[in-house]
Amino acid sequence: MNCHARIPRAALVAATMLVLASPLAAQGTGRGAAWGGGGAVPVTPPPPLGDADTLPPDKYFGVTENDLARTKLEKLVKPGGFAVYIVTDMEGLAGVVNNGREMSNGRSGNSPDHQRFRQELTDELNAAIAGARRGGATQFFVVEGHGANNFRNVLVDKVDSAAMLLRGWPRPNVMETGVNSRMNLMMVVGNHPNAGTPGIIAHSYALGGPMTVNGMKLNESGISAFIGAEFGVPLGMVSGDDSYAAEMKEAFPSAEVVTVKIALSGSGGAMMPLPRVHAQIKAAATKAVQRAKAGQVKLVTFSKPYHVAWCIRNTFAQPVYEVMAKPQGFTLTPDTAAGPRCFTYDTNKAEDIGTIMNLVEWAALKP
Amino acid sequence: MPMSFPRCTRPLLALLIASAVALPGQAGERGGPGTGPNVFQGKHLPFENGFRVYIVSNMAGMGAAVDMKEVMAGTEAGAPAQTNTASFADYEGRFRSLLTQEANAAVRGARLGGARSFVVGDAHPGNSFGNILPWELDSAVVLVRGFPRPIFMISGLDSTFGTLMFDGAVASAGSKGILPHTFGFDAFSVNGKPLNEVAISALIAGEMRVSVSMVAGDDAAIEETRAMLPNGFVGIITKYAVGRQAGITYSPVRVRQMIAAGAAEAVRREKAGAFAPFKMDKPYRVEFTVQSSMSDDVVGQIAAMSGFTLEKTGLRSFRFTTESARQIGYLIDAMQPWVTR
Ligand SMILES: [Zn+2]
Repeated sequence: MNCHARIPRAALVAATMLVLASPLAAQGTGRGAAWGGGGAVPVTPPPPLGDADTLPPDKYFGVTENDLARTKLEKLVKPGGFAVYIVTDMEGLAGVVNNGREMSNGRSGNSPDHQRFRQELTDELNAAIAGARRGGATQFFVVEGHGANNFRNVLVDKVDSAAMLLRGWPRPNVMETGVNSRMNLMMVVGNHPNAGTPGIIAHSYALGGPMTVNGMKLNESGISAFIGAEFGVPLGMVSGDDSYAAEMKEAFPSAEVVTVKIALSGSGGAMMPLPRVHAQIKAAATKAVQRAKAGQVKLVTFSKPYHVAWCIRNTFAQPVYEVMAKPQGFTLTPDTAAGPRCFTYDTNKAEDIGTIMNLVEWAALKP
Repeated sequence: MPMSFPRCTRPLLALLIASAVALPGQAGERGGPGTGPNVFQGKHLPFENGFRVYIVSNMAGMGAAVDMKEVMAGTEAGAPAQTNTASFADYEGRFRSLLTQEANAAVRGARLGGARSFVVGDAHPGNSFGNILPWELDSAVVLVRGFPRPIFMISGLDSTFGTLMFDGAVASAGSKGILPHTFGFDAFSVNGKPLNEVAISALIAGEMRVSVSMVAGDDAAIEETRAMLPNGFVGIITKYAVGRQAGITYSPVRVRQMIAAGAAEAVRREKAGAFAPFKMDKPYRVEFTVQSSMSDDVVGQIAAMSGFTLEKTGLRSFRFTTESARQIGYLIDAMQPWVTR
């Protein structure tokens, strides 16, 4: 996921803020560098907020309809098989280092690198599907979790034809749309390390640092697993850079972890050869399904009520931030001790956290 | 994709119906009597022997597509110069070809079912109703493309056709479907019964004694159309709506298999007399509300269109009564150029 890599209005706001207050760019982590490093971005005043900004999220079909999405997805799972739920992202793909032209179409509106990495996303996804199939999986539900191109990056004409895609935006719980108890195993392809971690394009949604649940840091994949766990879906396989791999090994010790690159900065690293990565993902997916069938993939759960804490990235302009601070239907507790844009929320429902993150995305990315 | 166009969110659907190159003022050959005499209205396609199938190809309802940038070229009327060309590359580089292959799958299936003559109507406003790639289309097909043309959803359909198929249908304006819309209307009904684009076309076709045998589209469109067309049809769900621009989608390969199988079954059942033309009581009492993205000025121009006696029933709502469903088609033709404006 990259929550502000594509839409002109939001991106301009973000890019503008980046130039005005560029500690992120200075850190060189690539976080928030929506267009590949802020240096060349002209300082443009944010355009006035238009129509879309007054539209409440529940008036736009697709932002809050978790239950509808889950019901539809449940019906598509055939009983007696083994269904894999695969969350995809792009920052953690083999070869990727640059959050600008590689991760989105960028300001020019056309980036051959982005188009090529959509192919790599599809290749790594196909490797995971092929591996899972070899391990005994029968159905493959794929979530488009990368924000560029409106959460449509998998090449529909190149993906394994057995896959069903959850694609487009707005979409309820965009990285965990419709996840349900009929799914047997979750996998993540191409995700990135947590905000604040020294890794390639490290970030977490639109947050300024890691989200914590009961004090434990969770990156984006961790949040997906946290939500999946509530439906009894364990996390079996993940892929990304070494920094992400270390986070995942610690939090999810029974998951297969594929390291596709070694971070040497926020936007540089040593890339494993693509064919080797595809083979490793395929092998890991096979092993994950086999181990899940043998009951060896453990569900990581947290005690209820969940105490969840996060801070919104300080690069968002005040009007956008204010919408993020008041997600429709949720009352957050400000956590001023942690920072001016920090909140906590206590809940018994992990899915609420996905919904809140979706509403935060909505504030940044409204169509 | 709305953000690339003026007046974003709500008129999302306006764009879909978008794009006639000609301006409303240029009337003349627009299609409807509202714009003057039209020498093209009486034209027929060449007759062909054998069971004839008319396939409406509507890109917004095709498999896998969920987003405006997959189904619009970016060069339609109303699009600003600085369109996001790379995103529209999805339209050019993938979806037009996939659309054409879907049409081919429908033709292949219909042929298996016993059909021998095939017309495909490109009924989606992307690239000015020129989405299908003629050079990739099944070589037996007569392709209807471009705009304007009389009753653009089913131009050329007449009583020599054995059946009418829709690939793909979209759910009506305001419903929980993918890219939902109903031409340029926020609401549309005949005799008090709401009709979507498929049902409106089915009513016109019904007067030609042609029935609808297959409808492919998202789950919302199929469910809604089942309720509107009581005579039944083979319904093919190619995607499930989970947002206005988001869905759970089958791969194009699977979609083509489903559509081919559906079209074969549709022709067989049609030939066995399983379906009947859709009919409603005459005179048709047509009521509609012009979509909210159209300016008051445009609403005024619609009210003043010659050839239609429109009774204003609300700020943006009208009623008219007619004995001929074709008149409804001509009205939609006449309004089409305003749809994006
Ligand atoms: Zn991403």
